[in-house]
Amino acid sequence: MSATAHSASPATAAAAGAAPQSAALRSFEAQWHARRAGPLHALRESAMQRFVQLGLPTMRDETWRYTNLRALAAHAYVDAAGDAPAAALQSDSLRSPALRIVNGVPCAADRARLLENGLEIMPLSELLRGDPVLLRGFLEPLSDADQQRWALLNTALFVDGLYIRITARLAAPLRLVHVTAGPGAAHPRVIIEAAPGSAATIVEEHVSHGDADSLCNSVTQIAAGAGAEIEHYRIFRGGPRAAHIDTLDIRQAGGSRCKQFTICLGGALLRTNLEARLEAAGAALDSYALLVGHGSRHADCVNIATHSAPDTRSRQTARIIASGDSRVIFNSKVIVCTGAVRSESMQSCRGLLMSPAAEIDTRPQLEIHTDEVKCAHGATTGRLDPDMLFYMLSRGLDRRTAQSLLVYAFLADVMTDMSPAAGRDSIDSALLAQLPESDLLRGLR
Amino acid sequence: MGAVLLKISNLTARVAGKNILNGVDLEVNAGEIHALMGPNGSGKSTLAQILAGREDYEITGGSVLFEGRDLLALPPEERARAGLFLGFQYPVEIPGVNNVYLLKAALNAKRKAAGEPEVDAYEFLALIKQKMKFMQMSESFLTRGVNEGFSGGEKKRNEVLQMLVLEPKLAILDETDSGLDIDALKVVSNGVNSLRDPHRSVVLVTHYQRLLDYIVPDRVHVFSGGRILKSGDKSLALELEKRGYDWLQESRVA
Repeated sequence: MSATAHSASPATAAAAGAAPQSAALRSFEAQWHARRAGPLHALRESAMQRFVQLGLPTMRDETWRYTNLRALAAHAYVDAAGDAPAAALQSDSLRSPALRIVNGVPCAADRARLLENGLEIMPLSELLRGDPVLLRGFLEPLSDADQQRWALLNTALFVDGLYIRITARLAAPLRLVHVTAGPGAAHPRVIIEAAPGSAATIVEEHVSHGDADSLCNSVTQIAAGAGAEIEHYRIFRGGPRAAHIDTLDIRQAGGSRCKQFTICLGGALLRTNLEARLEAAGAALDSYALLVGHGSRHADCVNIATHSAPDTRSRQTARIIASGDSRVIFNSKVIVCTGAVRSESMQSCRGLLMSPAAEIDTRPQLEIHTDEVKCAHGATTGRLDPDMLFYMLSRGLDRRTAQSLLVYAFLADVMTDMSPAAGRDSIDSALLAQLPESDLLRGLR
Repeated sequence: MGAVLLKISNLTARVAGKNILNGVDLEVNAGEIHALMGPNGSGKSTLAQILAGREDYEITGGSVLFEGRDLLALPPEERARAGLFLGFQYPVEIPGVNNVYLLKAALNAKRKAAGEPEVDAYEFLALIKQKMKFMQMSESFLTRGVNEGFSGGEKKRNEVLQMLVLEPKLAILDETDSGLDIDALKVVSNGVNSLRDPHRSVVLVTHYQRLLDYIVPDRVHVFSGGRILKSGDKSLALELEKRGYDWLQESRVA
């Protein structure tokens, strides 16, 4: 079926009325029409229609004002799912046992190796056939707000993914390695459900394979039950031609604690969305963003924490370093709903510019609909502090060493809160490789 | 007294179009302790910063020789390695950079420049523990970031600790005494006195005579309007304590 044949459908016609359809949108529609109808077809179809109706975000959309998707929109993406070259499985980033997910499809052999007491892992394709009602509960709630738009596309087009259920306190971190093997678009979906009182560390690492243009449109959903403790990492290490749009949706029940790290160390274009909802008293979120702009990378990070219950707490910390002619954007927002009294929130964002052509944009926002809350925010961007630099020079350190130490120290706030078991050292090494004078810094550790 | 260690001749400097130093002349011989006194805003701290290599100031004339070398031609780190030390009036906090790490890197940079082998970690730890004990500093300072969360007095002790480890030929201490209680003042003074040596010199920038009860200077200079107005021995400091600075400024006008 050609895309033209479908331009007569109501959804497509609405979009066509607003703006001419992009090559990317047409290719997504073609992918949709090539799929066979399965369980939850109606739900997925309406998600597709809604996405087509909204069209690709443009810079006129509130949360997309810093990111131009024109190049991405001009690209016609083939369906990458199930099309995994064997070499893509030889990922060099595998240091400890991990579950590999290639273009959205989990590797069955890996899954068998990781199972332990208190941990259930099921491919979404299986869940779709076996328990579509359970799955429906996770696919429905995503809104069509600007920043969630790509999640609709993921809902329509995911071929497979993972459903992970945690029912105990897991000792070892669970590592997922997503490999996007271009050319083409992949839509991996991960759903994590943490039962009340359970605890786990989950590390999701995204890498790309090959040097073709690729697009990864990933969605991860975390539902933390009462008193659950979740530490979650999403680490982006795509290649120089990789485009990545990631949506993370977190819902926290009473007394649950979530520590979330978003780490950008790769890719040409990266857009990350985080929407966390603190839905019952005592829920607490600590989110950290460590964003490295390198070369001509464009990274745009949107974090939204919604306090919808009393006595909830959120803390957002971002540290950004931009060199070359990279551009890094960090937008954080805290929404305190009516009745969410005694909510506490803090937003701290610091940017460090390492070159004249680099750019950092930050925008902390607050939306408060109730009294009796404590909300603080601060954002600063600048170059290395000249007083700190002079102090170190005046003690005899050479300029290179002093600068490197200051850059590294700048990231310390985020690094020190990572747990070593989650692979802090390997994150540290990957980070160092993208900082100026990385050899020198390695010697100092 | 020893050979000339520092020779400042007719030094003039400005910042943002404003003249701050208006012809400073000063000679410090090896082994001497000099006190530089004067009212706020007279340019004392600017002189200290310029000697250490701060680039915010524009040198408009004059010269500075350190052991006969043109000091102003050297970047700050080379001045430090050549044996010049500035104790800062307001030591900056550097979170994330370990206090002891900085000091070890500083000592090794100096040793490397002198063609000496670097100190190893154990040797250095022993050295620093001994000096910290002398400065009555708790060992918790070993693990903290540079000046991070230190009180005013702790920062000043830390400056003197660094000086003791680096053993400079010339230490310029910019109001190291300000904000110290009497016990801390004694500790800091002991630190400075312990470095007294025929080959080492100290320039104390201070507002108060009080410090000079503990560190007895060879020469006292009164700094005002960006230059040295009057020089003398220790008795000049006592006279300043009694009469303030106004009589000097008046006598100069007259």
